[in-house]
Amino acid sequence: MKDHDAQPGGSVASLRERQAGLVEALTSGGPVPQGFDARLVDAARVALLRKRAGEVARQWPSLAAAFGERWVPEFARWAARRPTQGALRDGWDLARELAAGGDLPAVAGAELAIREAGWRYDGGTAPRVRRAPAIRSAAGSVAIQIAGRVRVVRPVRRP
Amino acid sequence: MTSSEYGVGIGWRPEIAGFVAELPGLRFAEVVAESVPARGDLPPGLDELRDRGVAVVPHGVRLSLGGADPVEPERVQHLAAVADRLGAPLVSEHIAFVRAAGVEAGHLLPLPRSREAVDAVVANVRRTQAALDVPIALEPIAALFDWPDDELDEGAFLTEILDRTGALLLLDVANVYANARNRGTDPAELLDHLPLGRVAYVHVAGGAEHGGLYHDTHTDAVPRPVLDLLAELCARHRPPAVLLERDGDYPPAAELRDELDAIAKASGYPAVT
Repeated sequence: MKDHDAQPGGSVASLRERQAGLVEALTSGGPVPQGFDARLVDAARVALLRKRAGEVARQWPSLAAAFGERWVPEFARWAARRPTQGALRDGWDLARELAAGGDLPAVAGAELAIREAGWRYDGGTAPRVRRAPAIRSAAGSVAIQIAGRVRVVRPVRRP
Repeated sequence: MTSSEYGVGIGWRPEIAGFVAELPGLRFAEVVAESVPARGDLPPGLDELRDRGVAVVPHGVRLSLGGADPVEPERVQHLAAVADRLGAPLVSEHIAFVRAAGVEAGHLLPLPRSREAVDAVVANVRRTQAALDVPIALEPIAALFDWPDDELDEGAFLTEILDRTGALLLLDVANVYANARNRGTDPAELLDHLPLGRVAYVHVAGGAEHGGLYHDTHTDAVPRPVLDLLAELCARHRPPAVLLERDGDYPPAAELRDELDAIAKASGYPAVT
């Protein structure tokens, strides 16, 4: 594909570069590219975060439900500078981060423990089904996986 | 597709599979292409729909036909494989880009209406057509913002892409409405500048206003002006199929039935409920 040397308005950036700049503004907190209506681009950025929050809520219903009405703003705050890796991984990354800080609500523990026991997820590439048995816990819930079948064996009340 | 009329259809989603399965008059449905595996079991309910003789069209959302880079061959192959296993009469995708420099936008983003963008889309549509055994219909998107340096108006931009690729048009009247409302223009005016004889089918969807802008959410009810625009389109040139898209916050079955009936009424097609 050819790059344009010059475009109306004196821009010399190629379509490829300009698309990258726009995606960065919408997903990573980059500046709004020159000439765009900053108010409208920001409205699109916020709408995108709201849409992502809905998609993650469908993959991680307990996680979203644990936040109640605060889910969309909480997720949007977390995701504002993180481009999506897909709803499954976005929710997984957030749940792990919360769990590591002791902030994962107990009602969302079983959901994370079940996924951790059933899948191997390195935090950077697509999760893969575990072949070996595994026991994982999160926020007081313990999930055990044997031969692909996962059960929550000990939903523990937090002190 | 152009030789037969399918009437009113609905976007199949796992959450409403039971509802869709019980629509007695249904002959046309759409499924998000990326949600259907190329091999192995079909999602439950989808094969029954196909066995009933309902035409199921794979609707791609991740090809990024408007990306400056060539479409990824694996994505094109997947779309072709899904069309093949569903026995689909056609496939559809968007005139949009969804990623750049390896970063996913998470949404369909608009293109500049420039000759450079037309060239990029045309090249990618041709690459996709080369792998497909069925026609492709291209859908113009709803966007909250425009690029600052458009060389073409929307009608000319879309018509040139369709002319150079021979692709069909998937016209989303909710997108037309959303764009016109947010730009303060007349939605019916765009219809004057599109090749309505090339419309393979129509999308209808709901939306809502947030912060003074109309958002094409697919999770809200279909507003009256969108149905009015559908009626206006059908009065000029009725497309062979009209399809309701709903992507979340699913209402009770009675409300979905009412929306399908309202679409049937506005288009003059028989009710499928």
